[in-house]
Amino acid sequence: MQDDVAENIKTYLQRIMPLLFSVFLIMLSYVPLDFPLANNIRPAVGMVCVYYWIIHRPDLFNLVSVYLLGLFEDVLSAVPLGTNIFTLLILYILLLNLARFFNGKPFIVTWYGFAILSFVAFFAKWLMLSIYYGQFLPSALAFFSYLFSVAAYPVLSLMNAFVQNYLIQDEV
Amino acid sequence: MKRRRSLFIHLSYIRILAKKFAIVILFLSAFVLMLLNKTESLIIEKTSSLATDVVSPMVDVLVIPARSVAGVYDYFRELKNVHKDNQQLREENQKLLALYDKARVLEVENKLLSGLLNYVPPPAAEFMTARIIAEEGDAFSHSVIAYTGNSNRVKKGQVVLSERGVVGRVDKVGQMYSKIILITDINSRIPVMVERTRVRGILAGDNTSMPKMIFIPLDAELEAGDRIVTSGVAGVFPSGLPIGKVVSVDKNSVKIKPYNNLERLEYVRIVDYGLDGIIQNEANGK
Repeated sequence: MQDDVAENIKTYLQRIMPLLFSVFLIMLSYVPLDFPLANNIRPAVGMVCVYYWIIHRPDLFNLVSVYLLGLFEDVLSAVPLGTNIFTLLILYILLLNLARFFNGKPFIVTWYGFAILSFVAFFAKWLMLSIYYGQFLPSALAFFSYLFSVAAYPVLSLMNAFVQNYLIQDEV
Repeated sequence: MKRRRSLFIHLSYIRILAKKFAIVILFLSAFVLMLLNKTESLIIEKTSSLATDVVSPMVDVLVIPARSVAGVYDYFRELKNVHKDNQQLREENQKLLALYDKARVLEVENKLLSGLLNYVPPPAAEFMTARIIAEEGDAFSHSVIAYTGNSNRVKKGQVVLSERGVVGRVDKVGQMYSKIILITDINSRIPVMVERTRVRGILAGDNTSMPKMIFIPLDAELEAGDRIVTSGVAGVFPSGLPIGKVVSVDKNSVKIKPYNNLERLEYVRIVDYGLDGIIQNEANGK
């Protein structure tokens, strides 16, 4: 009986592991660092996590996970509530049809895919906030954030891959 | 049997329909949240502050190890400049000592003259030091979260200072943590003036590292290097607090470089000047 409970808890934890780890990475990205320019070159961790998990384990990262992750980022950030939810949902919709195509492809192809899809998500976020504030946000800075997120994708996906390979069983 | 089967078909149909519309519903909820945020309603304000209070302790746990790693990097970087910094500090100290003597003379003179004029000084400010536990700065927003402890002295709209001047204002107040909007954020608007000419304007953040000064008179005299201080108009910020200096004067914009390095804030001072200004009026309005 006890073994069953322990097994159930373990299975449940493994099922929510992608969301928990994504939350952890987002929190890590908000930690103040004393490196020069650190505050202006933070990757869009939420986007990387949504992209990674929906391609590799869509069974463990569904629409609700995307929504919760966006909400969590909204609470931490000073952007209007709903902005990150909106951005991640855009990425989710784009991935709905393309996830199968990217799954099992070489890393360079998924990286290339992230570069394209995250561009659309970044642009949507920039446009939405520009409408919200009634003025264009600095596009160069937004593009810089996008480039940095694309550059950071290999490292962040490697961290996610570690969790996928070592902390989650294949059949959860 | 037939009824059970039709019920099952009904349920699965509803489930498919719900799945189909779940995305639309969640999208709509995101829009509704944004709209509610725009109205700055009290419910959203309170919920947001509560959520910040719930989430912030988790980030706070990560700060200490992260700062330790960054500290090692900083130690080696600063070691290289120790000799040069020492030399600079000695020279600066000499200048400051001379200024200190002058300031003491002026202070005594000021007290005497104030007494003669029956001048009533403004209330003394109350300071509270807060530790920064999370920061954010990109094209979309510039803010920090500070640990303020179980203090009820922190209020929305209070001035936040660092060692060199104004860094922002308190935006959301939780039980233990407060969110601070930096002067570079797009939501930041501060009444300022040029110290030399007393020309007034508004310092408006635009999510770049250099906010701009707007609403300046057409014939205003402005030069690169001019000091910008708070003007005290609107009664939220007291006058004379240093903010930054003018770096460029164009036809369309006047760019200001903040004195503080907003990317490297570790501790800030939240100051209560006893000025209620707009904040009080808003509260009364509600």
